[in-house]
Amino acid sequence: MLGILKAMRTTLGHLPQRKITVQYPEQREQLPERSRGLFRVALDPASGEPRCRACTLCETNCPVQVIRVNYHSSYELPAVNEARIQRVRADSQPVPDLTQITPVIDHYRETGTGLMAVLQHTQEIYGYLPRLALQEIAVETGVSLSQLYGVASFYDQFRLSPVGRFVITVCHGTACHVAGAPLITEAFSDELDLEVGKTSKDRLFTLQTVSCVGACALAPVVRLGDDETHGRMSPDKARALVNDLRHRAEVDR
Amino acid sequence: MSATTDRAAAVSAALERALHPDGIIAHEGAREVRICAGTACHASGRPAVTAAFRDQLAEQGLTDTVRVVETGCHGFCEQGPIVVLQPQGLFYSRVRATDVAGIIAASIAADGVYEKRLYRDPTSGEPVPYERDIPFYAGQKRLVLHLNGKIDPYSIDDYLAQDGYTALATVLAENDPESVIDAITRSGLRGRGGAGFPAGKKWRFCRANPGDCKYVICNGDEGDPGAFMDRSVLEGNPHSVIEGMIIAAFAIGSGAAPVHGYVYVRAEYPFAVQRLEAALVQARERGLLGDDILGSGFDFDIRVNQGAGAFVCGESTALTASIEGQRGMPRGKHIRTVAHGLYGQPTNLNNVETYANVPWIVNNGVDAYTAMGTETSKGTKIFSLTGKLKNGGLVEVPMGATLREVIFDVGGGMLPGREFKAVQLGGPSGGCLPADLLDSPVDFESLLAAGSMMGSGGMVVVDDTTCMVDFAKFFLQFTQDESCGKCVPCRLGTKRMLETLVRITEGEGRPGDIDLLEELSEYIIDGSLCALGGSAPNPVLSTLQYFRHEYVAHVDDKCCPAGRCKALITYYIGGDCTGCGLCAKKCPTQAITGEKKQLHVIDESLCIKCDTCRQVCNFKAVKVWSGSERPEAAGEGRPQA
Repeated sequence: MLGILKAMRTTLGHLPQRKITVQYPEQREQLPERSRGLFRVALDPASGEPRCRACTLCETNCPVQVIRVNYHSSYELPAVNEARIQRVRADSQPVPDLTQITPVIDHYRETGTGLMAVLQHTQEIYGYLPRLALQEIAVETGVSLSQLYGVASFYDQFRLSPVGRFVITVCHGTACHVAGAPLITEAFSDELDLEVGKTSKDRLFTLQTVSCVGACALAPVVRLGDDETHGRMSPDKARALVNDLRHRAEVDR
Repeated sequence: MSATTDRAAAVSAALERALHPDGIIAHEGAREVRICAGTACHASGRPAVTAAFRDQLAEQGLTDTVRVVETGCHGFCEQGPIVVLQPQGLFYSRVRATDVAGIIAASIAADGVYEKRLYRDPTSGEPVPYERDIPFYAGQKRLVLHLNGKIDPYSIDDYLAQDGYTALATVLAENDPESVIDAITRSGLRGRGGAGFPAGKKWRFCRANPGDCKYVICNGDEGDPGAFMDRSVLEGNPHSVIEGMIIAAFAIGSGAAPVHGYVYVRAEYPFAVQRLEAALVQARERGLLGDDILGSGFDFDIRVNQGAGAFVCGESTALTASIEGQRGMPRGKHIRTVAHGLYGQPTNLNNVETYANVPWIVNNGVDAYTAMGTETSKGTKIFSLTGKLKNGGLVEVPMGATLREVIFDVGGGMLPGREFKAVQLGGPSGGCLPADLLDSPVDFESLLAAGSMMGSGGMVVVDDTTCMVDFAKFFLQFTQDESCGKCVPCRLGTKRMLETLVRITEGEGRPGDIDLLEELSEYIIDGSLCALGGSAPNPVLSTLQYFRHEYVAHVDDKCCPAGRCKALITYYIGGDCTGCGLCAKKCPTQAITGEKKQLHVIDESLCIKCDTCRQVCNFKAVKVWSGSERPEAAGEGRPQA
C-alpha cells in the first residue's frame, strides 16, 4: 500500500512539470558534443577542413541504405581510394537474377504467407539473401528495408553473404558436445584455416555450427549441405572429410 | 435426437469414404520389410539399404509377397539403420546395404535369422531376435509413438486403417465442444513442451476469450539441444498431430468464432516439414481438413510456418511475433496468449506431443489415460535419451517411472567401463541430477523439487569423463547466443556469467567467482521477461548444488577432475604404449615422437590437446593428468634428445 502511495506521489509530482518528450522527427533535440549515433563529417583539426573525401564507401556498405552522400568536392579522389572502392564493389555480391523471386513475392501477395517464408524461399533460390534481392522485396512488398534487415539479422538461418560450395555444419547440441563436438569444430577450423561462420576465399567451404540437428544418438554429428549427415565423427575423421571434399572439388573442376 | 444420429451417421460415412484401401502401404499381419526412415537412420545410410531391398526383392521375384515399407522413427536411433521383418517382428540393427542379400536369404526366402545383424544384449552378448523382447522396447509404454514403426507417414490410408481420425469423427458427431474440453481437463493432460500447464484449462480460456477469430498453433520449434521427440512424432506420424489440432480447434472455436491453424516447425527439421506438408495435402483431399470437415459444417485449415534458427522462438509470444514476420522477441506475459496472441486474437499454443496425445484420449477414454502416471502428472512422456549410455534413442514411458528404470532398464545402462555421474533433464532450462537421485520418479513436481525440471523431454546422461563446469558453460554459451537481447539482465547477465565460467575453465578462476555466479543467477532470474532468461542460470545452479567440489577444484586448485578443460590438463603416454606409432602419425602438430616398439612421448609445448591421439590409440595408453600433482608416469613432457 505504501509503495503504491509513493509511486502515486512521484507521478502526481511530475504531472504539472514540463514534458521532456520530443516529437521526433518533427522536432529534433540538440545533442551534446560527444554523443554517439550522430552522422556527421569529421573536421581535420589542423586544417579545419572536412576529412571526408566523398568516396561513398559508407553509402555502398550501409545494409539498410539510409546514407546518401551528396557532395561537391574540389579534391580529386586519390587513385588508391578509387582502386579500393572498385575492389569492395567487386568483392561484394554478384548481381542476382531478380526474376527468380517474382513467384515468391506473388505467392506472398496471394496467400499472405508471411515475411519469413519470403526470406526463406529467397535464400533457397540464391543460397543467401543478396542485398539487391532484399531491396527488391522491400520495394515490392512495402516492408521497409530496415525491417527486413532486422528480421534477417535476427535469425541464425539467414545468411547475408554468399556461402561456399561445401557448407560444413557441426552440431553443437548437448549430446554432441558431451561427445566432443568442440574438438571437431577446432579440427575443421584448423584444417580449413577458417573461422566459424566464415567462408573461404575460394568460396569452396563454409564452416558453421548449429545447436541441434536432432540425430543425438549418432553424436557427434556433422552435416554437409542439406543432405549429407555424418555421424560418429572425430577430429581425425573431420580432417579426412576435408581432404575428401578437396579431392571432390579437384575432380569436378 | 434424430438430428444427432443423422449427423453421426453422416460423419462416419464421410470418414469411411476418406479411406482408400489401395493407398494402404503397411498392412497388419502381412509380410513386410519395415525400414526406419527417421533422420538418424537416414544419416546412417538407410537410403542405400532401402534401395538394396527393393532391387534384390525385385530380382528374386518376391515383390508380390513381401513389401518394403518405410516407416517413421522407431526410436532406437543408436542401432540404426533399423529393419524389422513382419509379421514375425524380427529386429535387425545396424544394417548395411551389403547385409540385405543375407537377410533376404535367411529370413524372407527361409524362416531363419541373419545372425550378424541381430540385436545383442549389451551385458550378456546374447542375441535378442524379436522386437518385443528387446528391453529397450519392452520397458516402454508407447502411446503417442505406437504407430511410429508401423505406418508409412506418407500414407494417410495407413493412419486411417489404424483407427486414424476416428477420434475426430467422434468429436464431430457429438458436436459438443464443451464436453471435449471437459474430457481433456479430466484427463489431466498437461503441456508437454516444458511448462506443464493443464491443456484443458488452456483450451477453456481460449474458448471463453473474445476475439474476431481464434488461432490454434502447434509449437514444433523444438530448440532444446539434445531433444528430438517432436521431430520423430512429426516425421513418423504427422496425422496424429493434425488430428489433435483439429479436435482442439473444434473445442475452441466451434460455435464461438472461426479458427485457423498454424504449425511452427523449426527449419532444421527438413523431413518433418516435408512429411507434414504432404500429410496436410492428403488430409485436405480426403475432406479431413479445410471447409466442412467430414460433412460436419466445421471449417478449419492449417498452415506450416518454418522457423529460421532462433531458440527463443519456442517461447509463445516470440513464436507469434515470428509468424507475424517480426523479430522473434518475447513480450510481457501479463496478458496471456490465450487472451491476446497471434495478430491480437485468442491463441491456443500447445506442443506437438500434447496434440498427439489428444486422439488417444478421445478414442480410449479419460479413465484409461488417468490410469497411467502419478497423482499430478497423467499419461506418458517421450524422452530423448542420449549421452554416454548403451541404448540411446527415443523412449516413451509412463509418468512416474523412475530415472533408474529409464536409464538402466530401458537405456541399458552406461557404456562399458563408464560410471554414471549425472543426468541432465530439460535442456538449457533444466538441471543435472546426480546418482543419489536416480530413484526420483519422472513427473513434473518431483523433478522440480529435485532442482531440475521435466522440460520438453531431453535426457542426457553423462559419465565421469564429463566436466560439470564445462557442461554448465556449454549451456550458458547456448543461452547467451540465443538471448534475443531485449532484457538487460538476460543479455548482459548471461554474458558475464559466461565470461566467469570461461575464466574458471581456463584456469583463471578467482576467489569469489562462485558467489558471483550465484548472485548473477538471482538477478537474471528475477529480471528477465521470458523463460529463456528466467531459466538460463538453472544448469549453473544445479551443478553448483550437486557438484560444487568440481567448481572449487577449478577455481582453487586449477584442476579439472574429469580431465576435460584444456587449459588445465596435460596429455601424456603411459606404460601401456606398444610403440605402434599410430598416434604420432595422426597428430596434427607432430607433437609425438618415439621409436618403433618404444614408449612414445608427447611434447607438451606442441600439443594442442585435440584428443586425436587418445581416440586413435588402441591400447588406451594416452592419458590425461590435471592439477598440481604430476604423476610419475607422465615423465618430463619433452621428447628424449
